[in-house]
Amino acid sequence: MDALIHFLPQVWFVILALFLFLYVMLDGFDLGVGILSLTSSDEERRSILMTSLGNIWDANETWLVLMGGALFGAFPLAYGTILSALYIPIFMMIFGLIFRAVAFEFREHSDRKLFWNAAFGAGSFIAALGQGFSLGSVIEGIAVDEAGHFIGSTWDWLDWRSLLVALALIQGYVLIGSTYLILKTEGDLQKTHFRTAKLAAITTLVGAVLITITTPIVYEAARTRLFSPPLIYIFSIIPVLGIILVGLLLRSLNKEEENTPFVWTILIFLLTFIGLGMIVFPYIIPNQITIYQAAAAPSALVFMLTFIGVLIPIMLFYNIYNYVVFRGKVVGDVYEESS
Amino acid sequence: MDLLSNTVALSRMQFALTAIFHMLWPVLTTGMAIYLVIVEGLWLKTRNPDYYRHARFWSKLYVLNFGIGVASGLPMEFQFGTNWAPFSEAVGDFFGSILGFEGAMAFMLEAGFLGIMLFGWGRVNPVIHYLATIMVAFGANLSTFWILVANSWLQSPAGGEMVDGKFIVSDYFQAIANPFMIKSVSHMFFATLETSLFVIGGISAWYILNNRHQAFFSQSLKIVLAAAIAVTPLQIYIGHLSAEQVAQYQPTKLAAMEAKWDTSPAGQPADWSLLALPDESTQSNTWEISIPNGLGYILEFKKNLSAPVLGLKEWPSSDRPHMVGLIYYSFRIMSGIGFFLAGLMLWSLLQWMLGNLSSEKIARQTWLLRTWIFAAPLGYIAVESGWIVRCVGRQPWTMYGQIRTADAASQLPAGNVLTSLTLFAVIYSILFVSTLYFGSRIIRQGPNMELTIPNLDPAVAIETEPATFVPDQRPIETQQ
Repeated sequence: MDALIHFLPQVWFVILALFLFLYVMLDGFDLGVGILSLTSSDEERRSILMTSLGNIWDANETWLVLMGGALFGAFPLAYGTILSALYIPIFMMIFGLIFRAVAFEFREHSDRKLFWNAAFGAGSFIAALGQGFSLGSVIEGIAVDEAGHFIGSTWDWLDWRSLLVALALIQGYVLIGSTYLILKTEGDLQKTHFRTAKLAAITTLVGAVLITITTPIVYEAARTRLFSPPLIYIFSIIPVLGIILVGLLLRSLNKEEENTPFVWTILIFLLTFIGLGMIVFPYIIPNQITIYQAAAAPSALVFMLTFIGVLIPIMLFYNIYNYVVFRGKVVGDVYEESS
Repeated sequence: MDLLSNTVALSRMQFALTAIFHMLWPVLTTGMAIYLVIVEGLWLKTRNPDYYRHARFWSKLYVLNFGIGVASGLPMEFQFGTNWAPFSEAVGDFFGSILGFEGAMAFMLEAGFLGIMLFGWGRVNPVIHYLATIMVAFGANLSTFWILVANSWLQSPAGGEMVDGKFIVSDYFQAIANPFMIKSVSHMFFATLETSLFVIGGISAWYILNNRHQAFFSQSLKIVLAAAIAVTPLQIYIGHLSAEQVAQYQPTKLAAMEAKWDTSPAGQPADWSLLALPDESTQSNTWEISIPNGLGYILEFKKNLSAPVLGLKEWPSSDRPHMVGLIYYSFRIMSGIGFFLAGLMLWSLLQWMLGNLSSEKIARQTWLLRTWIFAAPLGYIAVESGWIVRCVGRQPWTMYGQIRTADAASQLPAGNVLTSLTLFAVIYSILFVSTLYFGSRIIRQGPNMELTIPNLDPAVAIETEPATFVPDQRPIETQQ
């Protein structure tokens, strides 16, 4: 029974991490494309940008809904505490996502496309900013009392460290958005995004390096954990691997390869994610509440696992199928007909 | 003002506002998804290209509403954490799991197959496409199921007990199959279906009345009518069963629904109030029209009550819902609309049987068509009123008899909630007006009758020839 009590929260931690990773990767390029649309000057280009997302954005966003539900069910204490602590950045994200979503629907039918274009771009940016601040402040830790309830103040989430994380995340989204557009477009538009991808790769790297350096300096708990064996070995491999991956990415961008930049970017995201997971685990509110303290009753975790666990491969299957059906380049405001 | 510094009241207003607005969109898409399955199925079966054009036309309205539904629904899930953290912690084991199921089983299915349903016509074969449409409809209705499981569990908690302020679940399946579940799920399932049917019917009637594509839209009107024959009376019946259930499990809500202050004892007849002006300060109705001896007939189809019907005065003021007038009139509006729609269905059925709904004659049924147009928004109003009865009537409890709303709210600075509430009010109003505007644009444009029909087989290609095409009827040997 003890082993079970230990094992189940870990399983749910991994499932949540999977949902979060899929969300960050998939809606990440949606948001990145949205942010990039702010820079594109003409209507045809924006049209292509939005069409490249039309059939997938709500499936991608669903991973966030799923993560919210799973966090609520598996770690109710963390769900309540984190969300009430991050009231402002969470609503920032929600309002941003609302703007983005309605821009998709209304732009198509509107004569004043300029307004909805702006809503699409600005919404994506605000949503990414809210997510970045949320991520940053969760990593920093949230002020809680002994029972795990939030006792900090409204603006705790806002400081230079969470701003740094937010900016790095936005750059990361721009990077994955650019490499996605390299996959989906051709000609001039593709050329533009080879350039934005290069720029974003460099700024993301700078952000990541700053975060990697400052985190152990500022947070004692992270330092003690990460700088003692065996974690020190894994932790030191991550930055090295990261720099190699960024190198590979830049090389593929220079060679103007179409598919590999997206793959390298995903691997960079994955690596960052593993790094963050190592800093956080076994806490769900870093250095305050562990996953074991915040977990729902074992019976609830088993109950959820039997229903959701079985569905994960199925969900992955039909989401992948969706991408297979819509593979290929976007032309104008339609997809190229598949042969 | 006191209200503006009261976090609990502001959080309640925010939840109510977002829920009332959000519901407008999925209530249409959930039912319409079933309609889309029907027309696409009819197309595959009959190969009549008009059914294909129906599928394409109505899915334009579908996707508009779906997109806004997703956008407006997102805050619903996150508000439990932001504004109702103590509640989330207390009921997370069950309530959170169910929201997770809704995401994983239902919403993901709908969103995952939506892309193929909307944009996949030329990319997958018709059978796969039909499967995608079915999955979208199945997912949407599974959402209704899980959300109503979660809500009815709050109305009639089962499967465990409160221990030190946390709900410990002992039997998950008992919690899912809580006393309210089956009737609540069915009532809402038929509500979404009925709302969509009358929206589709109303829009079809508008086209017919305006002399646009009369034959085409009398098709959709008849599909709607065929379904409504079963749905409208059934919904009234399920509604009645739901009210009986409220009487049994939530007597305070029933008393508020009937603005009943004093208890009617068993073994005696009691009046049923038709219209009244409830006044909470005097605990009475200042004005009332009532039907003598009506209550017994409504509850048990006989004059004398066999069990007492409790009045609000039986409970201390702190244990019963306030806003009695709102609950009382919402209930009457909902049931009134239910009967009105059933009546409209009967009238239409009669005309259909008299042969007056054939595509040549239907345009002459001006008043019938006008009534259908008038009925188009009524489903929405009924659904909203029903939810007001359900959730305002449950007060002062968030979880009936277990967790008070005042104890469920996060302790947040009121200013934060006021800001988010104001933003929601502004944004949701824009969404509402924009949906009406762009929805009516889609309707004014009308269906695209020149759509290329996906190739089922060569037989269909012949049917898609333009109407002006006249086949060469000379004998074969003289052609060319």
